[in-house]
Amino acid sequence: MDTFLQQLANGLTIGSMFALVALGYTMVYGVMRLINFAHGDMVAASAFVGLTIYTQVLGQAVSLGAVLTIFLLSALVMAGVGVVLERLAYRPLREAPRLSAVVSALGASLVIQNGIMLIWGPRMRIFPELVPQVYWDFGGVVISLIQVIILALSLVLMVALYLFVEKTRIGAAIRASYIDQDAARLMGINVNSIIALIFIIGSSLGAVGGLFIGLYYRGITFNMGWQYGLYAFIAAILGGIGNIPGAMLGGMLLGLFKAFIEGYVSSTWADAFTFILLILILIVRPTGILGERVAEKV
Amino acid sequence: MKELQKFGYPIFFAVMAVLPHLLDDRWQAVAITFLIFAVVALSQDIILGKCGMFNMGQALFFGMGAYTTAILNNEFGWSIIATIPLAILIPAIIGALLAGPIVHLRGDYLLVVTIGFNIVFVQVLQNNLGGVTGGPNGIFGLDSLSFLGFDLTSQVAVYYFAFIVLLLTLWLMRNLANSKTGRAMHYLREDQLAAESIGINTRIYKIFAFSIGAGIAGLAGTVFATQYSAVSPEAFEFIQSVLFFSIVLIGGSSFPGVLLGVFVMFVLPEIFREFATWRYLIFGFAMIAAMILRPRGIVPATFGKIPKFLIKGGSHVE
Repeated sequence: MDTFLQQLANGLTIGSMFALVALGYTMVYGVMRLINFAHGDMVAASAFVGLTIYTQVLGQAVSLGAVLTIFLLSALVMAGVGVVLERLAYRPLREAPRLSAVVSALGASLVIQNGIMLIWGPRMRIFPELVPQVYWDFGGVVISLIQVIILALSLVLMVALYLFVEKTRIGAAIRASYIDQDAARLMGINVNSIIALIFIIGSSLGAVGGLFIGLYYRGITFNMGWQYGLYAFIAAILGGIGNIPGAMLGGMLLGLFKAFIEGYVSSTWADAFTFILLILILIVRPTGILGERVAEKV
Repeated sequence: MKELQKFGYPIFFAVMAVLPHLLDDRWQAVAITFLIFAVVALSQDIILGKCGMFNMGQALFFGMGAYTTAILNNEFGWSIIATIPLAILIPAIIGALLAGPIVHLRGDYLLVVTIGFNIVFVQVLQNNLGGVTGGPNGIFGLDSLSFLGFDLTSQVAVYYFAFIVLLLTLWLMRNLANSKTGRAMHYLREDQLAAESIGINTRIYKIFAFSIGAGIAGLAGTVFATQYSAVSPEAFEFIQSVLFFSIVLIGGSSFPGVLLGVFVMFVLPEIFREFATWRYLIFGFAMIAAMILRPRGIVPATFGKIPKFLIKGGSHVE
């Protein structure tokens, strides 16, 4: 029972990180029908940007204000990178064959990943200890303050995003662009601005996810983006790609799945089991858990 | 294009035939690598370029061939040449079995599933399933090439082995393009629904393409294992699949385009070694630029013998 509760807590923590990153994938895919392969590397870049803000700008001070500054500045920087990325690598290819955009996304991923390597070096860096090491022991189940913060902040961000998309006029414009870009344009929606907005939201949520990865795992490497990116992308597919609540649900479920596999089966086989789950889901229900079945346009 | 076929190919083959005698050891090794990766990229082209299936796991079949050769040689003492039939057949059969349940998936889903296959495969190798893959270190100390009692240890022999494999691949691809099967693949790539409606069994042809592509990649794997006398999991990581995927699309799925892509990805870095750390950054920018400037690839493939003026808006419609 202890293992179960412990892995439940761990699973929810990594699940909420997956969910935050998955939102970036799913929103971009929803509007552009493009797997933004660079997103995972942006997540990794955010952890390094946070590290630099901590050492260079804040002079290694740790306080609530410093933590907030790191989160806000990193999110801001990555939102800017996201907009530039869309403008330079994706917008020129919007009318091109779909595979061209996929290759461009892979190229952007290589650029960002190796940009990180050239700026911060190829070796693992240690993310600062921004949150005090506080642990609570509930009869054998240990929960850390970091886990509580990650889970709570993720939930707040996800609920905020959900309300923004469902309840506001701009959210309605985003949903309209999801369904049909041309029709949305005819209704007076500036689809280019919507896409830029989606990259801003997705990249800053990914940035928060990247900082969480730094806080939780401490060791950050320039090429870690692919791994987290793939997991987050699987989470997005699991929930139904293009579906915002689906990405949140998919992230949580995938986090729990991974934690339980690591807890009960084997940690060296976790990746294999995750992909086998993905393959089974795609064979049985290709649209994901919350995805709707759409007829293929002819 | 016609001039290129008339003069370009004979010149290319003639140069490639005498090349190892003009190079020193190090450049011979680079030339062999070029040939091997050209074969893998062409096998990827059958699946991705000719048949239009988003396969991002080609390193799996490449690795499966290499490991088949390595295991048969290392555990069972087969000579390298004797392992070739199985190094083709096993990936081809596994390719068909893996493709069976997934070929109906839409593009991006297929892409993610094939990435998944590749990652599961590498994890199987690293965890030493069945105790024959050698774990993270792989298998080393394979026998060198020998045939009918002749000992073909030299690098030049490996070069010609790789060259023959490339020629075979090209011959097979040319025949495929001119056959009923090739035409069926082309139609289903252009428009699957239209292909189905004129009676093409798209499912069978897709599985067939996967199987052929996997078999050829497996053969390339045998050459790879021979060149290094060793195999290890990291040579077949899915980042390799990403490179093959990109090479085919940047090249434009044509023979000169794919060869150019392989040259740029694997030979140029050897020439400009001092920029080694900048390699992937430059590739990344080049990939974006290539796609923006030439979305259909550097040398787009043409199909069949239909005169240009009969084709409305180019030969490829997405």
